[in-house]
Amino acid sequence: MISISPKVLVPGAEPTIEKKLDLTNLTPEQIALDINQLNLFYGKKQALNNISMSIPKGQVTAFIGPSGCGKSTLLRSINRMNDLVDDCHITGEINLHGHNIYDKHVDVADLRRKVGMVFQRPNPFPKTIYENVVYGLRIMGENNRRNLDEAAEQSLRSAALWNEVKDRLHESALGLSGGQQQRLVIARAIAIQPEVLLLDEPTSALDPISTLTIEELINDLKKQFTVVIVTHNMQQAARVSDQTAFMYMGDLIEYSDTNTLFTTPLKKKTEDYITGRYG
Amino acid sequence: MAALTRSTRSRGVKNSLAKWLITLGGISVLFTLVLIFLYLLYVVKPIFESAKIEQKVNISLNLADNENVLASGVDELQELAYKITNTGNIDFYHLKTSVEQATNEYSVGDKALSTSLFTGDSFNQAKVVNVVNSFSATKLLHTENGQSLLVQPSFYAKYLNDTREIIPQIYYPLGHDSLIIDEQQRPLSTLAFAMDDEKIVFVGFTQDKRLIKTSFIAEDEFSVTSDGDDVDYETIFQQIDLPSKSVDEIKVTPDLNLAFVRSGSTVYVYSLNDDDDVELKATITPTLDDKGSYLTSMALLSGSSSVLLGDSSGRVSQWFEVATESGREFKQIRRFTADNDKQGKSAIAAIYTEQYRKSFYTMSANGMVNVFYTTSEAHLWQGKLTSSQPEALAIAPRANGLTIVGNDPLDASKKSLQVFSVHNEHPEVTWQALWQEVWYEGYPEPDYIWQSTSGSDDFEGKFSLVPISFGTIKAALYAMLFAVPIALTAAIYTAYFMTPGMRKKVKPTIEMMEALPTVILGFLAGLWLAPLMEEYLPAIFLLFIFLPLSTLMAAFAWHNLPNHWKEKLPETLAPMLLIPVMILAIYTAFSLSGVLEVAFFSGDMRQYLTNDLGIDFDQRNALVVGIAMGFAVIPTIFSMAEDAIFSVPGHLTSGSLALGATPWQTLIKVVLLTASPGIFSAIMMGLGRAVGETMIVLMATGNTPILDWSIFQGMRTLAANIAVEMPESEVGSSHYRILFLAAFVLFIFTFIFNTAAEFVRQRLREKYSSM
Repeated sequence: MISISPKVLVPGAEPTIEKKLDLTNLTPEQIALDINQLNLFYGKKQALNNISMSIPKGQVTAFIGPSGCGKSTLLRSINRMNDLVDDCHITGEINLHGHNIYDKHVDVADLRRKVGMVFQRPNPFPKTIYENVVYGLRIMGENNRRNLDEAAEQSLRSAALWNEVKDRLHESALGLSGGQQQRLVIARAIAIQPEVLLLDEPTSALDPISTLTIEELINDLKKQFTVVIVTHNMQQAARVSDQTAFMYMGDLIEYSDTNTLFTTPLKKKTEDYITGRYG
Repeated sequence: MAALTRSTRSRGVKNSLAKWLITLGGISVLFTLVLIFLYLLYVVKPIFESAKIEQKVNISLNLADNENVLASGVDELQELAYKITNTGNIDFYHLKTSVEQATNEYSVGDKALSTSLFTGDSFNQAKVVNVVNSFSATKLLHTENGQSLLVQPSFYAKYLNDTREIIPQIYYPLGHDSLIIDEQQRPLSTLAFAMDDEKIVFVGFTQDKRLIKTSFIAEDEFSVTSDGDDVDYETIFQQIDLPSKSVDEIKVTPDLNLAFVRSGSTVYVYSLNDDDDVELKATITPTLDDKGSYLTSMALLSGSSSVLLGDSSGRVSQWFEVATESGREFKQIRRFTADNDKQGKSAIAAIYTEQYRKSFYTMSANGMVNVFYTTSEAHLWQGKLTSSQPEALAIAPRANGLTIVGNDPLDASKKSLQVFSVHNEHPEVTWQALWQEVWYEGYPEPDYIWQSTSGSDDFEGKFSLVPISFGTIKAALYAMLFAVPIALTAAIYTAYFMTPGMRKKVKPTIEMMEALPTVILGFLAGLWLAPLMEEYLPAIFLLFIFLPLSTLMAAFAWHNLPNHWKEKLPETLAPMLLIPVMILAIYTAFSLSGVLEVAFFSGDMRQYLTNDLGIDFDQRNALVVGIAMGFAVIPTIFSMAEDAIFSVPGHLTSGSLALGATPWQTLIKVVLLTASPGIFSAIMMGLGRAVGETMIVLMATGNTPILDWSIFQGMRTLAANIAVEMPESEVGSSHYRILFLAAFVLFIFTFIFNTAAEFVRQRLREKYSSM
């Protein structure tokens, strides 16, 4: 059970020291993603302004900010989902293992296998639960039944869904509840063992109980994956993330460990936002 | 407050008005459908009804002791009936009471005319032994002394005071005096004749056992509607060799070609064409099932081709000439059984055939009457009309009545003339005849044939719905073979790969194709495409390879083009580059056509197909129809399939792409799967359209009702068949009703397709609809 008391409201609570990382000075081994002077344009309109940040490995990083601030756009840049948008072009780089993912030699499908993504609305395919989970493996050419079965069980267990669906793996995924569907989608994403998992407002379409389950799940997932989450719910960011980046109008305003950002923000805009002056 | 109430009230009125209008609309659509359905059934129903025979008039006859009736008859309108007795007297009876304004007053049973047929001096107290009927109304009277006379009882209509009265009249086509049929002027025990305008042929068996043929050949013309006292004709007497000592029955076909001579259970067929020599053409010896059975009667079926043989165990067999390997041979085609179980077996005493149709009536020895139709093998009626065998039975000229002279049903000691009305409008149609192979006269074997009309009067309509139903399916399938791949790939490309700006232009353009009148497509297909294809046949087949290949090659080239070249061309225009590529492909195919023909098909592919490969080639064939009708259904399929693919939710596509699937994998595994109900509906809608399409198939198929899957052969579809034949079919005829049945079958076809489509679509939707 997660502590309900938000860290924001308890200024005296001491964060655990060993978790604190110096975000501006990470060793290459600690970096999962390195974003370098990223500019993104939708046609003539600039949506991201010169973003540079390093996302540490094995931790949960949250992007927060008011609607339209570019946090989802930034997230989608990481697995190049923005490529699907017409008139979208990008300058700058995002490095994964020291290679720019926007290099012309990069295979986008391959990149997306390494950088998985879960969307705001649960989007299971109109297939069985089992086929949903093994979809990523099947398109990679895995057809060995035993491997698939194993991967399906493992992923469903990791997504805390196994006990609920183990008896109806071969029924349609569309029969699941919204929360279950979202966990199924997470299971589907982790079945292909990505390095980074991008969560785009994963709980905004869910009820509070389902939200809680997902949040617990995120806490477990960071043991295996680097998690990047976009949320407009500050409490959620405070609860689940280790680092938080605050964005406003396409600019990265402030990026630090979550405790620091919520308790002692450096920038006026950040403070205004987290105290609810606007948003 | 008041304004609020008023607005609420008007809203309520609008609400209920809308509710009623929508309900009314829905119900009237259903009602109209049911009405169409019922009307079709109403028109079709009579063809499946069996015959009905009802007594109309019974006239008691006062016959002298030694007098008996030899023949009877009735006029076309069934207002007068007549009988001829062995004294040579003819009596005409009114069958209707006179109307008020008539000049003459009469009631049912009154004699209209009573006279002796013997007006010439030579017939002094002559006793008639035989009245011979022919297929026309002319009768031949033969007396015990061997005198013969041709008479024609006739009727004409007179109009007085706006009322019609039928007046009887008797013509003597060859005059009032006795004819010389036998050179030796011996009495004939059996006699038959047939006549046309120029010739009369008699075949008889004399009492001294000679089989003779006598021909009267007119100098000018014979007429059956005037007295021919001064008509000049030449007589040719011939003697025929008969392998037997006795003759039971003789029949001469109305076309004067054949004579059938029955002697016991053997029938000798003579060819009468040669005026010098009468040749024995064939011998028919039917194998009779039961031991001790023998032939008892013989009759010719309308149309000069078939002979019917009745036997002592109540069976009738139909025989006609069939082309076999060893030449033309008489074969037994089918058999009818006239007795029913309760009555037991009773010999066929006589067979009566209708004048224009292939129906026949059998009279059993026990007085049982059966009505059959040969081609459809229908057993139409069974029952007793008189208590015992009648003395004379005749079928009315329009086959809608019978006259029978036999025991009076009211007074068993007397004879009476009874007139029956016969309701037997559509004997040639049965469910089996419509859907199974039928052995028509003159055909070597049973077959499925649709041939509703011809130039000849004694033509029999051949109504098999199999070839035209087959044609409908064949046309639709070839069209789908052409349309589905093109429409679906186009829909996939437009919905999934095309830029939105271009999609906005392309989609309405293709949908506009749907508004193109199909008559124009049919016209182009029949008059431009068909001859073009015939001339450049290899080019058409090359195009099926060249067009996809050149498109792929162009795409590959474009893919490998350096980026800075690509950027020079606006993205929307890139697909336009395909146009010159395709024009080039078409040009190449057409210019290679001649070369290929010379190289592989000895100069002409069409000739090569027909002569060397033995494949028949019609100019208007399934290939033309496939392309033309395919073109017509492409917009239907494209539009619906494109909508289905385009409306696959973006989050499913993104979900798949985010899992590392390529766009192609996403398309196959997610998009098409999710869109499958819509794609399926699109294909079924296209199929429905292809099945019901009329103008294109009418103009481009050649309308040949044949059963052949060959791509080089034409076909006739249900819809085109209705369109072609409805204007020329007589209202209420069998043909007319069968066309309605064809419409009904078409209705059922589309109904089945749509229902199946809807059912499958619902199932797919349950399974794959994502939200």
